[in-house]
Amino acid sequence: MNNKTIEHYMSKLEHLEFKFKSHVQNNNEIHIELEDSSKLIEFCNILKLEINLRLLTMIYCDERKTNHAFSLRYLLGSDTDDVFFFVVIFIDKKHAYFPSLSDVFPYSIKYEREINDMFGIQTQGDTTLKPLLLHDFQKNIFPLRKDFHANTELNYTPRKFEFTPITGDGICEIPVGPIHAGIIEPGHFRFSVLGENIVNMETRLGYAHKGIEKIAENMSINNVVLLSERISGDESIANSMAFCQAIEKIAQLEIPEKSKQIRLLFAELERIYNHFGTLSGILNDVGFSYGASRLEILKEYMMQLNEKLSGSRLLFGVNQIGGVKVDISNTSLADIHSMLNDIFQNFEKILEHIQSNSSVIDRLRNTGIIEKQTVNDLGIVGLSSICAGIDTDTRKNHPYGYYSSINFEQTPRADMEQQVKLQKRIGDVLSRFMSRVDELRYSKKLIESISNLETGEIHIPLESELIPFSSGLGYAESHRGETLHWVMMGEDNSIFRYKIRTASFANWSVIEHAVLNNIVADFPVINKSFDFSYSGNDL
Amino acid sequence: MTEDNQKIKKSDILSWDKVTLDKILQSNDMIPGNFRGKISLDPDKDFVLNSHIGQNLENICPTNAISYKNPPESISLDVGKCIFCGNCQQEAPQLIKISNNFDVAKKRKNHLLEVFSESVPFGKTYEEIGNELKNKINKTFGRSLAIREIDAGSCNGCEIEISALTNPIYDIERFGMHFVASPRHADLLLVTGPASKNMEKALKIAYESTPEPKLVIAVGACACSGGIFGKNYATTGGIDSIVPVDVFIPGCPPRPQALIYGIMLALDKI
Repeated sequence: MNNKTIEHYMSKLEHLEFKFKSHVQNNNEIHIELEDSSKLIEFCNILKLEINLRLLTMIYCDERKTNHAFSLRYLLGSDTDDVFFFVVIFIDKKHAYFPSLSDVFPYSIKYEREINDMFGIQTQGDTTLKPLLLHDFQKNIFPLRKDFHANTELNYTPRKFEFTPITGDGICEIPVGPIHAGIIEPGHFRFSVLGENIVNMETRLGYAHKGIEKIAENMSINNVVLLSERISGDESIANSMAFCQAIEKIAQLEIPEKSKQIRLLFAELERIYNHFGTLSGILNDVGFSYGASRLEILKEYMMQLNEKLSGSRLLFGVNQIGGVKVDISNTSLADIHSMLNDIFQNFEKILEHIQSNSSVIDRLRNTGIIEKQTVNDLGIVGLSSICAGIDTDTRKNHPYGYYSSINFEQTPRADMEQQVKLQKRIGDVLSRFMSRVDELRYSKKLIESISNLETGEIHIPLESELIPFSSGLGYAESHRGETLHWVMMGEDNSIFRYKIRTASFANWSVIEHAVLNNIVADFPVINKSFDFSYSGNDL
Repeated sequence: MTEDNQKIKKSDILSWDKVTLDKILQSNDMIPGNFRGKISLDPDKDFVLNSHIGQNLENICPTNAISYKNPPESISLDVGKCIFCGNCQQEAPQLIKISNNFDVAKKRKNHLLEVFSESVPFGKTYEEIGNELKNKINKTFGRSLAIREIDAGSCNGCEIEISALTNPIYDIERFGMHFVASPRHADLLLVTGPASKNMEKALKIAYESTPEPKLVIAVGACACSGGIFGKNYATTGGIDSIVPVDVFIPGCPPRPQALIYGIMLALDKI
């Protein structure tokens, strides 16, 4: 099936007037190396317009030892077919810069800032890039270069970070963070307000930067599974699953059917408990604490269920390379089903209460609106994009694991797309609230679709040594959206480069647009309705 | 008929009387047996430590919490570094015992270290804290305690468990504890994360703005030792390298009961 799609895309590529070398890898990855790298921007523009591709991430890699150059992979993906495009260019000493894609994909600037921080390579002609992840680090420190050691002791050296000044009569600035009033992660927000209205907001993140991509290079791959669970604690299954799948792809390991089923079960359980938490947070932020605490109870029950099944309330330690560590019997599967039934009966009742409460709905409706065009320009994924009518579900577009045997024709996301078209939904907090509700019901359906677990093993050991410098892309849909993990192996089963692109990294920039013309008091609920992870962004 | 009515009532959350746990530190029934809680070196009778087991354990631990020395043959376990992955128990079930107890918090960092060697008779590093402590706890909880949570770069796992403390099931407010919005209003700082370099300055400022007497609790493996992230260019390897710490609560993440237990230990210090 997939061979046909690849052939279709290859023939499309051949019709373009560009000279390039290309090869297909891991079933759905087309790697393209342009003969004339100065035509890259033009090439990407054509891919965007004619083949309808979206920039997913930019992977920079220090290959000076093996290829005598830095390599840069522009990863583009399709939202309709299961295919990924890697456009590769090499940057050697002669050109110590790379072309900026921001004319084609405006959001590429965030990846360019990241590369500038971590590798010290700038885009052509642009010297005004703000730092992204490294705050008060010494100058000329580029952590992801191979000649930098992860354990280097660095001194505290203050660096200047200038927020864009917004001036005018009556405009005030409100600095918030990095330590917030609630129990949440660190980040800084700079509001410029005119009276109550927000006229501009700038975020500064990176406070939770822990050097995950760098330290993975010194760890064994089994330990990196544990590390990937801790990229963002509430996305442990999605992240570890994406990493494991990347390694399994490289090793061409077909994991047992039962472990695929168990991975799906846990992935959906994770989605359910997190959505309950977010819905509860939204209600809390508009002052409806009754509904908030009722949903908190449901979240707690889900976490207790997680613990009963896996020994960890946050589902740590479920995945491993080649399968899963936790077995589920058919009796505990029946328990999950009956427990979910109970919980969702309660959920529907609470929901009825919420929807009939005008003081809640009025706060949610028309708050924090994002336009479809903004979503497109910023490359937003997951639940944050579906509320504006753009469906980027990895489970459907790039089916992995047991999701490939599920029929995705009638997803709630298709309904939401339709409702946006009919202008019943306008990308406000209420539509994000309702799409979370839909997702919850759909996750329950997915879990119920597994009525019987396969028999047999839950894990296949990884026996052979992986080929050095082979690479693979793992992906999963976390409750926030598309999660991509790209791994390049080094010698002796070590990791040469581990690139993580969580949904949070792709999505954070949308908040700066969503809060415009809203009042400061609505910022918490707008922020919560997106539910981004700071740690997953900062890595 | 009456039975049916009761059934309907049970599934109707809106009419439930009470879900809050009564004796939060005593009722272990709700914690499943396979929860990876307290981890200790508790050898079986006929267990013999050899270099094979020692080396294997040392290698299998992702955070270097286990170290093996020879001679004399001894093995040490630093619970502060442990991320509770359970790999070591699979490797040496005769030596490593993991129970579902959550009372793992310690007042001194070196109390988190447990050593087992063949020559020295094995002694438990901390005693069972029984009725004596319970009384103390009741006394301390008569007071009101304002807590400020600070995330110094955690993965947000610890935040989920800390915010679970305020849900109706654990509901710590009934014990006289509440979360406040500013360190200036706080008696106690709950700090999570391996203290990323980018948060170092903010954490220091927050500590200095907390009025005396103040307590600091390091929550989770990361805050105790850097956890799986360890000490690298971007992290400082535990918050005790930045601010003085009164109690260490290991766990990845520590469950709500473990947090309450740790907070009580801290109260004991005043």
